[in-house]
Amino acid sequence: MNPEFLLTAIIFAPSVGALILALLFDSKNAEAMRLFAFATTAVTFGLTLVLWLGEFQSDAPGMQLEVVKAWIPTWNVYYRLGVDGISMPLVLLTSLVSMLSMAASWSITKHIKGYMVLFLLLETGMMGVFLALDFFLFYVFWEVMLLPMYFLIGVWGGPRKEYAAIKFFLYTLAGSVLMLVAMLMFYFNSDVQADGFNLIRLAEAATAGNLLTPKMQITAFIMLFIGFAIKLPAFPVHTWLPDAHVEAPTPISMILAGVLLKMGGYGIIRIAFPLCPYGAQYLAYSMVAIGVISIIYGAFAALAQTDFKRLVAYSSVSHMGYVLLGLAVWKINEQTGETMNSEYWQMGLNGAMFQMIAHGISSAGMFFMVGVIYDRVHHRDLNKFGGLMGKMPLYGGLSAGLFFAGLGLPGLCGFIGEVFVVLSTWSFNPTLAIVAASGVILTAGYILWAMQRVYLGAEYKGPHPEDLTPMNMRETVIAGTLLTLAVILGVFPAIMFNVMTPSISRMAKAAEAGYRQSATQLSQDEMQAKR
Amino acid sequence: MVGETLRNLLMIAWLLPLAGFAVEIFGGFWGSRKSRVAAWMSVGCIATGFFCSLSALLIWGSSNNFWKVPHETDHHADAGHAEPDHAVADHPADSHDSHDSHDSHDSHDSHDSHDSHDSHDSHDSHDSHEPPVVLGQTVYSGTLYYLARFGSLDISLDYYIDSLTLVMFTMVTFIATCIHVFAMGYMSEELTEELVDHSAHLSNGHHVHRPGRYYRFFAFLSLFCFSMLGLVLAGNIFQVFIFWELVGICSYLLIGFYTERKAACNAANKAFVMNRVGDFGFLIGLMVLWTFFGTFRFGETLNDKGEVVQAGLFQMLPRDETGNVLRDAESGDVKIGVVTAAVEPGGTRTIPYSLLVVAGLGVFAGCVGKSAQFPLQTWLPDAMEGPTPVSALVHSATMVAAGVYLVGRFYPMFVQEVLLTIAYVGCITLFMAATIAIVATDIKKVLAYSTISQLGYMMLGLGVFGWGAGLFHLITHAFFKSLMFLCSGSVIYGCHHEQEMPKMGGLWRKMPITAFTMLVGVIAISGLAVPGLISLSSVFAFSGFFSKDAVVATSLAFVKGNPSHFLLFIVPLVTAGITAFYMFRLWFYTFAGKPRDQHIYDHCHESPWIMTGPLLALSFFAAFCAIGGEEGPLYRLITGDQPAHVAHGIAAPLGSGELTLPGHEAIHAVHGTAGTLALIAAASGTFIAWLLYGTTLVNVAEIKRQLSGLHGFLANKWHFDELYDGLFMKPSHVVGSCCVWIDKTIFDGIIHASAEVMIFISKWDKLFDEAVVDGFVNLLGDSTFAVGRSLRVIQTGRLRQYVMFIVVGVVALFAILFTTFPG
Repeated sequence: MNPEFLLTAIIFAPSVGALILALLFDSKNAEAMRLFAFATTAVTFGLTLVLWLGEFQSDAPGMQLEVVKAWIPTWNVYYRLGVDGISMPLVLLTSLVSMLSMAASWSITKHIKGYMVLFLLLETGMMGVFLALDFFLFYVFWEVMLLPMYFLIGVWGGPRKEYAAIKFFLYTLAGSVLMLVAMLMFYFNSDVQADGFNLIRLAEAATAGNLLTPKMQITAFIMLFIGFAIKLPAFPVHTWLPDAHVEAPTPISMILAGVLLKMGGYGIIRIAFPLCPYGAQYLAYSMVAIGVISIIYGAFAALAQTDFKRLVAYSSVSHMGYVLLGLAVWKINEQTGETMNSEYWQMGLNGAMFQMIAHGISSAGMFFMVGVIYDRVHHRDLNKFGGLMGKMPLYGGLSAGLFFAGLGLPGLCGFIGEVFVVLSTWSFNPTLAIVAASGVILTAGYILWAMQRVYLGAEYKGPHPEDLTPMNMRETVIAGTLLTLAVILGVFPAIMFNVMTPSISRMAKAAEAGYRQSATQLSQDEMQAKR
Repeated sequence: MVGETLRNLLMIAWLLPLAGFAVEIFGGFWGSRKSRVAAWMSVGCIATGFFCSLSALLIWGSSNNFWKVPHETDHHADAGHAEPDHAVADHPADSHDSHDSHDSHDSHDSHDSHDSHDSHDSHDSHDSHEPPVVLGQTVYSGTLYYLARFGSLDISLDYYIDSLTLVMFTMVTFIATCIHVFAMGYMSEELTEELVDHSAHLSNGHHVHRPGRYYRFFAFLSLFCFSMLGLVLAGNIFQVFIFWELVGICSYLLIGFYTERKAACNAANKAFVMNRVGDFGFLIGLMVLWTFFGTFRFGETLNDKGEVVQAGLFQMLPRDETGNVLRDAESGDVKIGVVTAAVEPGGTRTIPYSLLVVAGLGVFAGCVGKSAQFPLQTWLPDAMEGPTPVSALVHSATMVAAGVYLVGRFYPMFVQEVLLTIAYVGCITLFMAATIAIVATDIKKVLAYSTISQLGYMMLGLGVFGWGAGLFHLITHAFFKSLMFLCSGSVIYGCHHEQEMPKMGGLWRKMPITAFTMLVGVIAISGLAVPGLISLSSVFAFSGFFSKDAVVATSLAFVKGNPSHFLLFIVPLVTAGITAFYMFRLWFYTFAGKPRDQHIYDHCHESPWIMTGPLLALSFFAAFCAIGGEEGPLYRLITGDQPAHVAHGIAAPLGSGELTLPGHEAIHAVHGTAGTLALIAAASGTFIAWLLYGTTLVNVAEIKRQLSGLHGFLANKWHFDELYDGLFMKPSHVVGSCCVWIDKTIFDGIIHASAEVMIFISKWDKLFDEAVVDGFVNLLGDSTFAVGRSLRVIQTGRLRQYVMFIVVGVVALFAILFTTFPG
């Protein structure tokens, strides 16, 4: 296949599938539609594998397989795609989680055709976000993804689905409005108007110090950061997440936790840091603090939950706090403007990226496991479970593995991301590092306590005990795949680090240079003002 | 070559149990519940591991001429003991420097960082007289694979093989093999499709019926063995942390093996969470080390040419000739030694001394959790909810000793403030646990508290600079404590799951092998000895005497150097008496006297050979493994590669207020005194126990009644559980509820309020639209309509009239134009 066409194919394969599904399939033939939709996601996953194993060069730090086509020439908007070590793992994660959650969608029985079409459109939006290199195109995909999600929660969700859907929609929309303003700031401040939306050119300009003035960088960064922090989600703009997760159907929760949250982190590392390095450095301490608060706050909130799914949702808040923390441990020598312990920051960045992948696997797994039991007994009250390890040993064992991955047990994926991030934090700020590290106790506390209430104990205490049937083959394969990946990534994390490290270190170096330029500019301005 | 052979052998021993686990865990799918295949597989893996470890030990010994030495020590016991010290004392920095110097020209094999011949040569070149004994200093380290690399930073899985690693491997695999075999018998009632668990109840009061889980038990045991051996093999502190957590989760799985029992689940959770509290400290230590040293490796990193590209942690901390950590005179900071590319190319780095203390205390905090030291000791007694073989393997012999092992392994990085903390923590723990053991009535609980207490002895030994003594006690304790746990398991099995000692008594008639082997263990732990049986200067004793003697002697030597810390000698001495007392109490209570519960006695029986066999094997080692004491093979093996600064001790500079740490000579000088005192203490403890429980001369119940306050305090375990519940458990649940409340009322409140405001505004907007905008538009529409209607009258359709209008209009327009814009 033509490599240039590959990225486009990855983005639009699900849309083509959605179109065929909408036009050619009989909406009464549920099984056929499910199989076809699953096949579409599987093909997409195959394409991303081709991309990773066949085309992608791990040791090259720059953008690869770039595609540029004029789209709206009058506004300098281009159809510009590309992939590098930062987006590659996320693209893989997206196609994988989409495929697995499509396999988990057999439990959907209402309006199957509409669900499948929206699901596939959603995948297109997600892929587009990770592959777009034009800010406008990025923004369009960002919004494209929002609408199917709104309907998927609002139509196929639980009892409070309308509330959750509108909350999700408004939160994200508020963020994207801020992003839009920032986007226009960049557009009108870029030297070459033709590159006004070109993320690569904009980043290069920012590195050279001639995109935004330091003060404007701070403003732009705050706007971008709020937009992305909502998605991440970070304290205190996280309250959409528990509602959305709890009300969304299981496969959509998997997508939400597995992929959508990562867009926040991806946006920060792909757009906010490279385009406003001065603003990013200026706000580094606040971001680290927010990250640490998210870790602890999310863990405490999870401890107090009685709804199984809400507990997993809050664990996401806690785990995504590590992402923010790792991204932001960028320390500067105030006198010289040089980055201190640059390699530790790179470790933080790598750890944060790894944490995104790891969380994508473990939390998708945890949500799936909650879904499996919900499909059987139709409740999620933690105090009305118990004894499932005896009744459904395979389910109990696989769940234990996935929950241990969430707990950050060594040998499973969650450990590497968390511990690398925490290790890199001391050189930034010892106090915050200690607070972040204390998360390990709370995490163990809420996960083990939840496991005790659900899986251990003498007997099942809730309704419908007769429905506790063993997992079927489809469910076993989904959970088994996720657990296998959790083990592989936990034991050989270098698989992912090898892909990410070159691009991340390039990004970090560019941001450091950009900060230096802006800082010099600022001190010159101050000197002039003094005169 | 030797390094590679050792590595391969230990890797086999390490990975076989993992392979076993991977197969056994699915035993429920591809085997019958009544099949013993999983157990045989598990035993096979660990027994093979034992033979690999043993051959590795032998290879290590012969490649270092270790086995020839005993002859010399036999003939010149004292000389052989003292002379290596002199050799090192003459050239104090010698052995330390030789690490660095000879590596650069030792380029044959990147894994063999130290070769005995080389270190021999380096001694030759400096020394005028050849040292009579060439002890170890033979460390083989290297990297297995990388987890990640960021620039010059890298994190990898390594191996680090020295004499301590090999001794630990051999000990762990041997004891594990014995316990696996024992467990095949002990767990045999799991070999059924339907098992009735009498300790787990349903809500309707019935017992739980469940299928047996024989295969799962052995799978977990195998996983544990893999984790434990990985911990010992680990070549960097991060890797230790990885396996640290893994043994923790294995412990969780094994304590909670009876998932139906609430007590077991609670105990499992408690064990894991309390360990995590310690690991939180461990993590802080790791952060400090990582930030300031830039590496986690113990040993040096060599490149393909055999050059040192990165110093290991153990080489980085600079010490002067006496072993004190070198500090900058002004700032008090410590300059880290050989740092290459990683931190600053070619440069050095400094770490504040206080952070060195933090790093040491942090790592030690992890050890406190794992080894159930004060104040994180409360999980271990609860952990006895697990099956008894688990208690023997995980919670006495190996995993809980991992904390002690790590203190020993990480010894070169500890500064004296940390050592003093270790000593005091050990001292508090050993006393507190021993007092609780006096009043415990559950046979396993007594052993659990005894374990905590003995771990305290080990920590104390390490803390007062008895590196060899602490680890010596670790090994001997592993043998006699696993033996005693298995004996208690045999009792419990024979008495049909009765664990309360007050219901036993006189059991030696029914189970003589168990009673006899238990007695061996009890004598060993109590440290009883017969002086002068073989010759006047030597004593005949079981293993525990020698190792405890070493610990007590070291603390006496320490107290002599630092009189203000006299408690560090008094407390362990007194506790030696208490230990003898509660251990003999246990034996008399259980095996001697008359049966107190006739029903239990009547149904009691000796265990089958598969269980008594391991007892006999272990009792042999519990008795004789430490033969020869500190001149014996075991002690010499352990100390073969002891840290360079340990042997000669550290003298405090005058008036510095620092500690004087005793060297081997100082310890040797007080050995006789300490040994005698400890023996007297143990003998009196034994005597009192015999008086109270072996005879009917004294009414124990009366004493208990008179001291009911103290008894209650001890029986409630010094109220630690209540304290922690009130201090940590409940508050964290409150904080959790607060967070939920904040989310629901404040953050969502703001969101909802702003939504309300929006709705309110849009209502006004609607009103405004309807009243004003719509009104205006309607008005406009209406008036237009009215105008149109009125204009309709002139729409006559007559052409002439229209022309007339046009003319008039044009004229009027022109008129307006000319009047407004004249000229």
